[in-house]
Amino acid sequence: MMEAMRFLGLYLLVGSQLSGAVSFNRDIRPILSDTCFRCHGPDQSSRMAGLRLDRREDALQARRSGAPIVPGNPTASLVIQRIFADGPRIMPPEAAHKVLTSGQKSLLRQWVAEGAPYEGHWAYQPLERRPGSIDGFINARVQQAGLTSAPPADRRTLIRRVTLDLTGLPPTPAEITAFEQSGDYDRLVDRLLDSKAFAEKQTMLWLDAVRYADTCGFHGDNAFPAWPYRDYVLNAFHQNKPFDAFTREQIAGDLLPNPTREQRTATALHRLTRTSAEGGIQPKEYLAKYAADRVRTVSAVWLGGTLGCAECHNHKFDPYLAKDFYAMKAFFADIQETGLVPDRGKESWGRQLLLPTPTQEARLAELDKVIAAVPAPPAYQAREPHWVVQTPVQQKASGGATLQSDKEGLVIAAGANPDHSTYEITLNASGKDWTHLGLEVYSDESLPGANFARGSDRLVITEVEALADGQRLEFSVAATNTIFSTKDLPAGGAIDGQKQTGWGVNTYGDPRAAMLSLRFAKPVSGTRELVVRIHHDSAWRRATAGRFRLALSTEPIAEPIPIGTKVPKLPPEVAEREAAFLTGNLDLFRAKLERDLLLSAIAKVVVTESGKPEVTRILPRGNWMDESGAVVEPAIPEFLGKLPVQGRASRLDLANWIVSKENPLTARVFANRTWRQFFGTGISKVLDDLGSQGEWPTHPELLDYLAAEFQSDWNVKRLIRLIVTSKAYRRSSVPTPAMLQQDPENRLYARQSRYRVEAETVRDIALAASGLLHEEFGGPSIRPPQPDGYLAALNYPIRDYSATQGPRQYRRGVYVHWQRTFLHPSLMTFDAPSREECTVNRVSSNTPLQALVLLNDPIFVEAAKALAQRMYAEKTFAGRINLAYTSLLGRPATQAEIEVLRGLDTKTRAQLTPATAADLLRAGETPQIAADEQELASLMTLARAILNLHGTVTRN
Amino acid sequence: MTPLHRRAFLGRTAAGFGLTALQSLLATNTAHHKAKAKRVIFLYQAGGPSHLEVFDHKPKLAAMHGQGMPESFTKGQQIAQLQGKALLCFGPQHPFQRYGKSGTEISSLLPKMGSIMDDACLIRSMWTEQINHDPAHTLMNTGSILAGRPSMGSWSVYGLGTESADLPGFVVLVSNGKGGQAQPIAARQWSAGMLPSKYQGVKFQSIGDPVLYLENPPGINARMQQDSIHAITALQRLEQQALGDPEVQTRIAQYEMAYRMQTSVPGLMDFGSEPASVMEAYGAKPGDGSFASNCLLARRLAERGVRFIQLYHRDWDHHGGLKKGVELKAAEVDQATAALISDLKQRGMLDDTLVVWGGEFGRTPMSQGGDGRDHHIKGFSYLLAGGGIKPGITYGATDELGYEAVDQPVSVHDFHATMLHLLGINHLRLTVKYQGLDVRLTGISGEVVKGILA
Repeated sequence: MMEAMRFLGLYLLVGSQLSGAVSFNRDIRPILSDTCFRCHGPDQSSRMAGLRLDRREDALQARRSGAPIVPGNPTASLVIQRIFADGPRIMPPEAAHKVLTSGQKSLLRQWVAEGAPYEGHWAYQPLERRPGSIDGFINARVQQAGLTSAPPADRRTLIRRVTLDLTGLPPTPAEITAFEQSGDYDRLVDRLLDSKAFAEKQTMLWLDAVRYADTCGFHGDNAFPAWPYRDYVLNAFHQNKPFDAFTREQIAGDLLPNPTREQRTATALHRLTRTSAEGGIQPKEYLAKYAADRVRTVSAVWLGGTLGCAECHNHKFDPYLAKDFYAMKAFFADIQETGLVPDRGKESWGRQLLLPTPTQEARLAELDKVIAAVPAPPAYQAREPHWVVQTPVQQKASGGATLQSDKEGLVIAAGANPDHSTYEITLNASGKDWTHLGLEVYSDESLPGANFARGSDRLVITEVEALADGQRLEFSVAATNTIFSTKDLPAGGAIDGQKQTGWGVNTYGDPRAAMLSLRFAKPVSGTRELVVRIHHDSAWRRATAGRFRLALSTEPIAEPIPIGTKVPKLPPEVAEREAAFLTGNLDLFRAKLERDLLLSAIAKVVVTESGKPEVTRILPRGNWMDESGAVVEPAIPEFLGKLPVQGRASRLDLANWIVSKENPLTARVFANRTWRQFFGTGISKVLDDLGSQGEWPTHPELLDYLAAEFQSDWNVKRLIRLIVTSKAYRRSSVPTPAMLQQDPENRLYARQSRYRVEAETVRDIALAASGLLHEEFGGPSIRPPQPDGYLAALNYPIRDYSATQGPRQYRRGVYVHWQRTFLHPSLMTFDAPSREECTVNRVSSNTPLQALVLLNDPIFVEAAKALAQRMYAEKTFAGRINLAYTSLLGRPATQAEIEVLRGLDTKTRAQLTPATAADLLRAGETPQIAADEQELASLMTLARAILNLHGTVTRN
Repeated sequence: MTPLHRRAFLGRTAAGFGLTALQSLLATNTAHHKAKAKRVIFLYQAGGPSHLEVFDHKPKLAAMHGQGMPESFTKGQQIAQLQGKALLCFGPQHPFQRYGKSGTEISSLLPKMGSIMDDACLIRSMWTEQINHDPAHTLMNTGSILAGRPSMGSWSVYGLGTESADLPGFVVLVSNGKGGQAQPIAARQWSAGMLPSKYQGVKFQSIGDPVLYLENPPGINARMQQDSIHAITALQRLEQQALGDPEVQTRIAQYEMAYRMQTSVPGLMDFGSEPASVMEAYGAKPGDGSFASNCLLARRLAERGVRFIQLYHRDWDHHGGLKKGVELKAAEVDQATAALISDLKQRGMLDDTLVVWGGEFGRTPMSQGGDGRDHHIKGFSYLLAGGGIKPGITYGATDELGYEAVDQPVSVHDFHATMLHLLGINHLRLTVKYQGLDVRLTGISGEVVKGILA
């Protein structure tokens, strides 16, 4: 029934357009484009009968059997004859699976009768700044349709709407009360636009467009350093960086004169493509993939065009030529990269920029000086290491884990798998003067990630302690045989007394046995009992050793070479790195350790570096192996003009043109996308295609007005303020029957729209309303808990997942680690895109899996607990319910709603036992308040019910 | 408007996604023509099974073992890990045997599958375009190498809806082989792409809740969950009355379905009702997450009306240790594949269930490192049974060295067109508007392979 109504509604809208003269752009182009251009359009290779209808001069050209279009004479026009024909002569032919409706046929006939005027495609027309107002344009259409606009929304609804729209967070009960009293909307908008949360919301959407993610997307889908780019975007929106500068910096920041770090960071844009480290890829093929991705992204984000379609052929509907695709690609031919982008080791992730703080930078310089001052150590001489494997006298572990050892000294951890655990192993060390303690950790296929730790992709031993007959022993230097992990997890991290640092393995491919050799500051003699404590206290959960052995040595220098290694020699790079250990130079050891830790702490980001441009050829049919195509130089699509540049045009020239007055597309694209944020659909609904197959805008003058305003100063906040302060924005979203019938999709904006919030906002609402939200602007991504085994289909390495601990796990959705091939399930379920490709038009669905997330995902259960604890402070039942309703839905509950919840309260209390109440309240890491547990647990189920309401996840 | 067009029409409208009530997803018989298959069980052998050891016997290759691969085959062709290496012929590592009345020749390592060859059609002339795992999987599943296109399971549910009121229409199961050659598989392979996520494949987890977040939080028993959902529904109804928003009605239905999933999935996963003879026939052990158990689970899903069931069995990437590796894989899949087809047949379900067995590409006739084969795209084999497939035949052929599909080659798009055809869908007409295009599973090509239709 609903569907029938919706169909009828749309029909009425179309019907209303029939009155009056036909407009080519509004009425005719969409028909021609969708049904005719495939065979009679710009693409020569698929053109039939030599006929093209996208240009008037061609369509009027007489042929043997007459002219396709005879202006003013539909009967004589072949096109009109054929669309009304029966049998095999009918156009479009049956094989095209395109059927013209009788309404469309009539429109075409009327258009020809009216002289068949053509118009240039609307989106490509120059933009002119003209006076006008949003409400003027909207009201005209509303009146024309005979509708009456909805009244203004009440203040409660309005503050929730504008707060969600501008910040992605719900207003607090106090903010709602204040606005209900003051009604000062302008001040409210100012406050929201100034907030950091505003930047977070805008960033979230921008990251979709530029396909930002934290992992590389192909093959092993490993994490790469990208988050400083997100910080760049956050700061740009927060400081209201003009959009032209924002554009220039991202597309060509490295080519600006004396680029700043910030400008170079912005160029990570081009490095956010998916990359592959799979052995056996054909580098050229992947370079072609990366470049095509850039063309698709830049053309969709800035030009609203589907230039990507022209990779294999001329565009079928728009005047983009294959040549244009490759000419655009040529702008990016200077980007320095490899086809195979290594995901580990020294060369991992290609060109990067280090982003030290001033303090870090100064310290780094000092350390470099210290290290440079140390004379080069003598060449490494391999010795036969002599390790005496120790069979533990006894061993124990904290946190429920158990340790078992065998006669060969192998210790295996089993039992519970706690986040952190300290292993304590007692050795009988009598009889010798020991100089070194050795710790060998073994990898095993059954262990995840790098195969060393019990429940994390990495092993991190934060400290090794040794006690001789109860006396703590000092270590002087440390060394390890690991290859890939040493900057982040250096050997010295295990003896520096700091919990934040540690030794271990964090990626796959390191030796099967990772060894740590620790030299005692003084040889240990006359000891009977040596107790070794191995601490695992890192920020990574379950990064605990699974299988290991302890050994002792009496050698003056005992190298970290695993016992039984066939060639007992350190690899040259390891020997060089461990020079301080081999020479015993303590100053060098300390300086190098500090430098390693400092380098690993310094933020890094992949960036664009320019070099000699590769030759760009047109690839026939997109085939990267075919090198017979013509060489092209960088150029903008031909029909959009020509860059006023002598010689080879650069990315900076491209960026300058994009934000120039000569390009009308960018402002239209951005204004259209921005409008969608505040009304639910674009003025032209197809956000990524303003071309011929896109949608004729519902309000072309409005779109041009907004675009021209935006182009005049590129001021994002001003554009947004213009929209949210309109009357149209502030209307009620409750439709009248007349609105539902005539305009079910709300394309006329006689009312506001209702729609579900984005995936991240679903999370943020629950966190904010419950008080769990941890506000921290910018910085590295976080990993919220997720179900075990969710990453089981990944490999290289086999993955486990170590959830973030402490308050940072409650950060906003925009900071969630974006694993392209397995996005966090709660985000994916609520339609967040994988960001493998540019996405400017998120879909929104309504599924049972969403219900399961809101009901059972531990973070939402914990939010229910935290919210219940807030509710508990209220004295009355109604007061408690109203607090939850106001926090989540922005309004108090109705009496009927309170009664439903009272019923649930009664039923729940009848079911709860002291034990189940305690189970329920154990949710998450939020400490439990002092309260009657049955009462609090029941409140928690009420909070959970309210968190699950459609209204909670709906913006209205 | 045919139902398919109607759905596509709704998909184009602004807020159209999700506005259709659950019931319309349940609609059946919406096809373009009479369907032969109601559902698909796709036994996806991930990693690239070697057609030369499994399905495509090449005595000539054995004869040329150790000799240089003639350049006429390889010149100008794509190549993966063998880039820059000497290309030497590598003979089949296992003998072949003829099976059944049809006498179809397949590996002697697959006697059980041999016993069902009279029910199956073996295509020996598949080819693809992508030579690395991830893009090749993406092409095989979505018909495109661009991320963001719907997978074939999503297209099927989008086109036909589902017949199950309490299970998703598209379910994915993944099992790992024991050979340690398991390439990663991205969730993109069962993604709904630009279609709404309700068409997405739901991957059942092999540990923990089979469906994510299926289990109630600690402290909430079934009764309490039901009470909560009742209360949520009552509150939603109040909102619905006040606002008349049809999305609220949909959400109410989704909570009902979520609850039904919570109650039905444990029963689905519980093999207790299966007789010992069935468990033995498959070689399934409850809870082991093996390919065999997944085959049995696939039958149970099929019985419950799930439209598209895709099993991934990983670990076919035999760059080295090919001989032993294929032996191991054969042991893991032979019995269960045969048992599934026989079981479906016995239950009268094979007629309307299309079973597909195959991977993302084949492997080179050339040796890699003396004991393996590299990725290969120009020719490989697929096994199909039931659901309107002509039984007991072979179709197409590769050249004498098993390099290129030369006789009646079948592209990925042809395969998709045929699969959709059997489901009652004209692949040219199942489209969705995206970035100005009428996007379809078969891209811009693809023809139904008439020669394999019953």
